[in-house]
Amino acid sequence: MKNKQKILVIIPAYHEEGSVGKVVEEVKQYLPRADALVVNDGSSDHTSEKAEASGAIVLNLPFNLGIGGAMQAGYQYAHEKGYDIAIQVDGDGQHNPKEIPKLLQTLIEKEVDMVIGSRFIGDSQFKSSMMRRVGISIFSRVISLIVGQKITDPTSGFRAASHRTIRLFAFDYPQDYPEPEVLVLLHQCGLKVAEVPVGMSKRYAGESSITKLRSIYYMVKVLLAIFVDCFKKHSF
Amino acid sequence: MLIKIQLFIGTLSIILLFITFELIRKKKLREEYSLLWLFTGAVILIFSIWPEYFLSRFFSQITGIFYLSAVVLLAFLFLLLIVFHFSVVISKLTDRNKELAQRHALLELEFREFRNSHPHSQNPSNQNG
Repeated sequence: MKNKQKILVIIPAYHEEGSVGKVVEEVKQYLPRADALVVNDGSSDHTSEKAEASGAIVLNLPFNLGIGGAMQAGYQYAHEKGYDIAIQVDGDGQHNPKEIPKLLQTLIEKEVDMVIGSRFIGDSQFKSSMMRRVGISIFSRVISLIVGQKITDPTSGFRAASHRTIRLFAFDYPQDYPEPEVLVLLHQCGLKVAEVPVGMSKRYAGESSITKLRSIYYMVKVLLAIFVDCFKKHSF
Repeated sequence: MLIKIQLFIGTLSIILLFITFELIRKKKLREEYSLLWLFTGAVILIFSIWPEYFLSRFFSQITGIFYLSAVVLLAFLFLLLIVFHFSVVISKLTDRNKELAQRHALLELEFREFRNSHPHSQNPSNQNG
């Protein structure tokens, strides 16, 4: 019965020609029965060709929408094609596709609507700047307080979603800082979330160029967005 | 002093009205905005023609401020309203733009898959299939 479920791995990619092919190949290696969908978010490099060559389905957005719009396009595809489970994996290679079966297993066994791959529980050792860890821990506290459940890694984009979540996201997905906001959205719609420990590597290409000032700016904006979300109306 | 300010504001409002008319004539301004700007121009014009009856007596009695400040305040309030209206419109447009982009991408993918699975059903006039 487990093998009859249709699984889609959504890989958003913006200027990731250097890593997207490898990510798709690894996804196919560790989860051969899933389809890989690369959402090319208006890249001007060869992201689309590289993804196509590695055997992924490629969804080309006509211009850059940002991570929220790109991810939602992926969920819309999943919804239209009737997928039962969708998994988000970043196109820059910071998520290890080897961990996908773990997310999948938790989603099915715990019967939750979303599983988050967390860098901060269990034996996973994640090294990053002090600033970033402080920021994540503040998010973690605020989100945990709002949703009434301990969420250790609200900014992780390594996630698995049930068909109910797919349906919700196809119609309603936050735009600017989707990862933390999604948790509030799910809570408001009464959907359940679980976390599993995963290891994450550094990005293959490019650095996360978040300086101190910018990370504070980012944090204030996300907190504001979360605050505003608490007043939004959702129909589900 | 007052007559100078009146002339200045009167001229401004006439220029505003003229530009609005021109844009409407050339169909470069949508009706919803043209009405807003025509109304704004007309109100400013009225204030410049009858400042004492309309403002010094009526408005400053209520607010206790003088003509120029009253006009500036009113203009500011108008601009605030207009800018606010624009943010609402831009938000709506951005949303629709996003939805269009997503729909476009999904349809394009569907089309590519369809064409790949039906290689013989191509339109003969389409040369780069």
